[in-house]
Order: sequence, then C-alpha cells, then structure tokens
Amino acid sequence: MESSSGSKVLMSGNEAIARGALEAGICFCASYPGTPSTEIAAALMKSSQNHDIYVEWSVNEKVALEACVAASWAGIPALCSMKSLGLNVAADFLLNVNLSGTGAGGVVLVVCDDPRGHSSSNEQDSRFYAKAAYLPLLEPSTCQQAKDVISIALALSQKHRIPVIVRSTTRLSHSRSVVKLREIASATCTTSEELANAPYNVPNPHLKHQELGMKLKEIAQDFEKSKLNSVSGGENTDTLIIASGVAFRYTKEAVDLLNIPSVQIVNLLTSHPLPQKDVVDWIKNRQKVLFVEEVDPFIEDGVLAIAAELHLDEIPTFSGKRNGVVPFFGELDTNTVMDALRSIQGIPQKHQDEQDLNTLKLARQMLIPRRLTFCAGCTHRNVYWALGRVKRRIKEGLIVTGDIGCYSLGVFYNEAMNTMQAMGSGIGTASGLGQLERFGLKQKVVTVAGDSTFFHACLPGLVNAKHKNANMTFLILDNSTTAMTGFQPNPGTSKQRLGNTVVSIESIVRAIEPSHFEIINAVDIDAMIETIHKAVEIDGLKVILVNSVCRLEEQRLGKTHEEFSRVVVDINLCKGENCRICTDQFSCLAIGWNENLKKAEVIENLCIRCGACIPVCPHDAIKGAEP
Amino acid sequence: MKNQYNILIAGVGGQGNLVCGCVLAEAALQQGLTPTTGETFGASRRGGTVLTHLRLDADDLGPLIPREQLDLLLGLEPLESLRAAVDLATSRTTAIISMTKIETPESIAGKVKYPEITEIKRSLRAICGKVYSLDPGRIFAETGTRRALNAYMLGAMVTSGVTSLTEEHILRAIQTTLKEWDLNRVAFEAGKKDFRSLVDL
Repeated sequence: MESSSGSKVLMSGNEAIARGALEAGICFCASYPGTPSTEIAAALMKSSQNHDIYVEWSVNEKVALEACVAASWAGIPALCSMKSLGLNVAADFLLNVNLSGTGAGGVVLVVCDDPRGHSSSNEQDSRFYAKAAYLPLLEPSTCQQAKDVISIALALSQKHRIPVIVRSTTRLSHSRSVVKLREIASATCTTSEELANAPYNVPNPHLKHQELGMKLKEIAQDFEKSKLNSVSGGENTDTLIIASGVAFRYTKEAVDLLNIPSVQIVNLLTSHPLPQKDVVDWIKNRQKVLFVEEVDPFIEDGVLAIAAELHLDEIPTFSGKRNGVVPFFGELDTNTVMDALRSIQGIPQKHQDEQDLNTLKLARQMLIPRRLTFCAGCTHRNVYWALGRVKRRIKEGLIVTGDIGCYSLGVFYNEAMNTMQAMGSGIGTASGLGQLERFGLKQKVVTVAGDSTFFHACLPGLVNAKHKNANMTFLILDNSTTAMTGFQPNPGTSKQRLGNTVVSIESIVRAIEPSHFEIINAVDIDAMIETIHKAVEIDGLKVILVNSVCRLEEQRLGKTHEEFSRVVVDINLCKGENCRICTDQFSCLAIGWNENLKKAEVIENLCIRCGACIPVCPHDAIKGAEP
Repeated sequence: MKNQYNILIAGVGGQGNLVCGCVLAEAALQQGLTPTTGETFGASRRGGTVLTHLRLDADDLGPLIPREQLDLLLGLEPLESLRAAVDLATSRTTAIISMTKIETPESIAGKVKYPEITEIKRSLRAICGKVYSLDPGRIFAETGTRRALNAYMLGAMVTSGVTSLTEEHILRAIQTTLKEWDLNRVAFEAGKKDFRSLVDL
C-alpha cells in the first residue's frame, strides 16, 4: 500500500481500490465489514497511521454511507465500501441522497458483489441500485483499473454532486495482480463552510428527480466522449461481445482458447448510464451480439432498450442471460464463456474420453466432504447443544430464529436453527412469532444474534419486542469481536482503537428493561441449559447475554491453554459404539474416534482444554486429567 | 497468447495456502512476469478447502484457471489435492503433493473413513501426467511445527524444475513474504533434498 509512485506491485482488487482512494485524495472512509469487501477499509485503516485519512468501522452500512455523505457535504472527499447485502441496508439513505445531492467533497460508494454467494446468503446483483437511484456506476475489470477508477469516480461525484458507485465482484476483490502505482495525493483536507449555507433536503422530490434525470443524460454524453470503454479484437464485424467487470477477462481468454481472435470485444466500464451513441455504433449492423456479465442481465437489458430505436434490418441477434446462452445464475468463468461462444458460433463441444470419465468417476467416489464446522472449543457449539437439550425438555418444542455470523453454522449443527435471513432478522422474526400464541403457535420462540449483529441491526427489533411484549427469548452470543470477517472491533469490543469508546450491550439491554435478564458463561453447558430452560418458560421478553469466546481470536492473540488440565476420555467408562454422543452429536473437532479401541478419544493437538464437553458425556467418561 | 503456466495450490484452511500463492506471485513479479492469483477464502477459511490459482504470466487474464489448462498442482494435503485434480488436472498436469493428511471433522469423529493414501496416489496418477509424492513428516518432527510446509513444498517445486521460477527469486520472496526465515530456510532445503531423493529412486 505504501510503495512509491511508478513502482509495480502485486495487489488484490480490494487493496488496489484502497490505494486508489489514497491517490484520489480521499480523506474519510466508513465501512461495515463483509466479505468480499472487508479488505478495502482494512487497508485504509492501516494507511491511516501514515496518511491524513479518517477510517472507521461503522455499526452498519447505512450509518457508514451517511457518515461519508456528511463528510462530502463538509467538503471532505469520502469513500464508503460494503458488500452487496450491505447496500440493501444503506439503500434507504441512498435513494434520498441521490436527489438532495452529495457535497463538494464527493462520495465514492464501492459495493462488492458475491456471485454464487461464496460468503453470502444471496448472489444479488447490486447494479440495480444504480438504476433505481439514477446514479453512475463503473465496473473495473482488473486490479489496475480497480485502482485507477477511484479517481475517476471521485471527480465525477464532485462534478455532478451525486454518489458514484464502483462495483467489484469476489474474483476481482480477492484476486491479485500487478498494479502500477501513481503518487499518493499530498493535499490535506479541510472542511468548507458550504454545509452551513446549503441545506441538503428533498422539498420537491419530483423536481429533484427531473434534475437528476438530466444529470444522468449529461453523464451518459460525457461517457460517450470519454475513453473509459474500449473495443479490442480482430476484424470480424459480424460478432461482438459486450463484457464487463472480471467477466471481460474470462471473455478474452475464452476467445483465445477457442482460437477465434477475429471477434470484437467491448470492455464496458460505464455500465450505467450506458453511452447510448457508442452502444448504437457498436451493435448496429452486426449479426450477433453476446453479453457477458455477472450476475443479472443488467447491461443486456439496457442495450436491448437502446436497440429498440434501431431500424429492423440493423438489429443483430442478441444472446446472453435472456435467451439462456449464458447461465442467469451463479458465477461465470472462462469455461462458461467458452460454452456460450461455442453455442453462438456453432463450434462443437469437445468430446471427453470414456476412460478419462471413468477415472474421474472413481476418484469422485473417494472424495469425502470437508464441511464447515465450529472450531474446536467454539462456544457457539455449546449454546446450540444447550438449546438442543432445552428443546427435549419442553414438550411444545422450540423455534430458533438465527442471524448472520459464525453462529449461522447452527443451520448445519443438528438443525439447531430453524431460520436464518438477513442481519438482525432473527429478532425481527422472533418478535412476530412472539405474537402468534393467539393463533395457536405452541412452540417457545428463541432467537440468537452475535455482538456485532446486535449493534448492526438488532436494536429496533429488540425495542419492538419489548414495546409489544412479544413472548420470546433473545440470546446474545457476545464473543466481543466480528469473527466471521476477520476480527474487526465493534462497539462492544473490550479493546478499542484509540479514541473509540466501549458501548456496553448489558447496559443497553438493561435500559430496555426486559421481563427477565441473565448473563451466563458459554463454557458452562449445564448452567446454560438450566438458565435457558428457566427463561423460555417465563412469559414476555427474556434476554440472555451469553459471554462467549472466539477461539480463533484467542489463537491470533497468542493465548495457549497449557495452564488448564488436559481433558481425557476414561475408556473404562466410555460406552463406545452404543453411545457416540460426543463424536456424532456434540461433535467437537477435538473429540476423535479410536478405531482400534472403538472408543472416543481427545485429540491433544486440537483440544483447547475448555472442558465444555465434560457434562456432555452421560457416563462421566470425559473428565479433566489429574494434574 | 503468451506461453502460459498455471499453478493450483490446494489445501485446508490454516495451512498457509494463500501466503504460498503470494510467495510464488512475488517471485514471478521479480522475474519480470505479470502474475495473477485467484484466492478462495472467506467463509471457507474455517477448516474448509482452500484453493489458490496462480497464473505466472497472465497479463490481464482472469484469476481462475480454466479446465484442461492446469500445469502444476501443488498439493498441501492429499484429499484436497485429489479434489482439485478431479476438477482441473489432466495429463498436462504435474502434481507435487504432501502426503501428510489432515482428517476431516467427520473422519476424526469416525463417521466416515478418510480414503487410503495409496488409493489417493493411484487416482492422482491416473488423472495427472506426473505425480511426485512427498512426506514432510521428517521435517515436521525435526522442526516441531507444521508451519514450514509451504517453504518445504517450494523447495521441492524448485528442484523439480517444472516452472521457470528460479531458486534465487523464490528464496527472496520467502524472505520478504513469510516470517521465520531460519525455519523456512531449513524446510526449503529439506524439500529440495526430499525431491532429489524421489527422483533418484
């Protein structure tokens, strides 16, 4: 990040975006962590030690965007980065501030989509927000472009006084390539008086809408004159491919591998608004046009709308997601683009050798899955185990609504979680379920959320539950870090960055005055079972703050467990094959199966000696070793 | 198109897969090439499969290696190497694999059986053009840690001569990218030695 101008360095797409922010003179960054966007703000946070830039992990994406826009109103250039789903949270504000306008400082909004949902609960194409909000959107293809586009986006925002969206995807954000650096901006940022004199509000939305529409037309014309989009390839004017983002790179390679260098490829950076005149020039009188983009047919639909203005005899055959030549779901890669090209160019599929197919089939049979699971000693496992035991004791049963974080893995853990939706949806849905007794709902309602999620989106749901006296139990799994995305601090984290203050979850909950409130330790499974059982049987809103531990965070901070006594299985007491509760149901990674003895065993190098598994064994075979 | 060389590093979260890709990419950059790496991490980091795609001289080709284009499979774990081979390897592929297994949560619990190493080797041989199986057990025991697996594998890779990356550039990249230079230096030499003894046999 700190290398000097002119040097060529390896950078991930996200690091390149962060470097681009420094080169553009961005002085303010607010973000909420979320894969695949996290490293942008993380890199800038590191840089803030050497450069005059303010960086914060906001409580959620809406606050982050609001903070960034406010900075721009005061003349400070700002960048706001988030993952796809984060933009849903920020969208309420986005669809106001597009009308009222951002300030002289300018705002770049970077959104990182996750096609195929590698680390997300959906694979939404966030580009539709650019259309909904009438905002310009740029889609870089390479790490170099990811860096360079930030200056362009900031200048555009400053000129037109609207947020400018830069869209990345997982394969750009998380790939590394060579980037040539420019000078980091040296000018320091100072607030202007503008904000005091120019109220930003939306008194006549329809007129502001009209104004925004005209801005967008002007921007489209600017894009037409610019060199932001490029056409490459050979002399074949019959076939044109329009590709954006990292999919442009797949397209280039697909054309190379199929050895059809004559087709032409547009690398479209300005996905919205489309440069209308250029689009007409590109597609007019072609035979075929293919769209390659992730995830939805965004550019495709835009171009089809423009094509409606062409004479009938000038209109090519369009292929893409609309006619199924390119899959409308999932991630693209070079192979899917090759398949699409074969389909429209009439190139036969390669025949696979029978013997090779058989070899692969045999190999596949050997592949046992390597599923995601809680770490050894993870306290989330203990909570779900306790919930499972409580479920057995209550004849009406439990409904557990979940939330977003490492503990979402509860979906896979003995099916401990019944629902898992968006950030904060656990308590919101539980608040609704907590009213359904009158319609015959018998089960007791429990919801779980982590500490970072608590601050992000649980507060309105919690207040609603209290206000309406919803009958439900809220477990806050507080491990004091944002573990899923790489241990970013949140307001509840005990060790804060300089200048930040701890906000106590306990104080917030007590202020809301639930019918019943307890604090428990997630390592003590027996106590947890009793506490949760007691709470679910009480009427009204019950909150249990579960003091939890992230074992990865402990490891990261160099904590060892040598001082605790070892945990062992007494093979004389272990019932072996007849039981297997510890290995098959509790399933801590550190409890293994000894094939020779046909008994459970503790795996020394994985065990963190928390002892949580001791009460799990009904035969008292798991115990602390004598010191 | 330029003469492309594609490397896939396959392993389990926590093995240092990504940093191994960084070392190779850095070495390639220092040799005047234009590498690109594609990394799978995020939720998969929690003990799941981790793959790093490395294209030694990509210019602006995509980060993911297409089917039938894999030149070198650098396997940090046998099961994950086979999984990767099934998806991407062909007779064009050379595989250099650490045969020290990492059991899955379910095989540890005895719910499923981890496949026999001899079967994995046989299968890899049927899929890949060439397979070199390494046993880093000795260096793990000598150094008392598994942290130097990357350097060990890179030592073996350099000795194999399959890539255009030089020992000098890789060592320099290890020095600038990894911590624990002394440990890694020892492991690198062990990897070289073990690979040579494989070929001599």
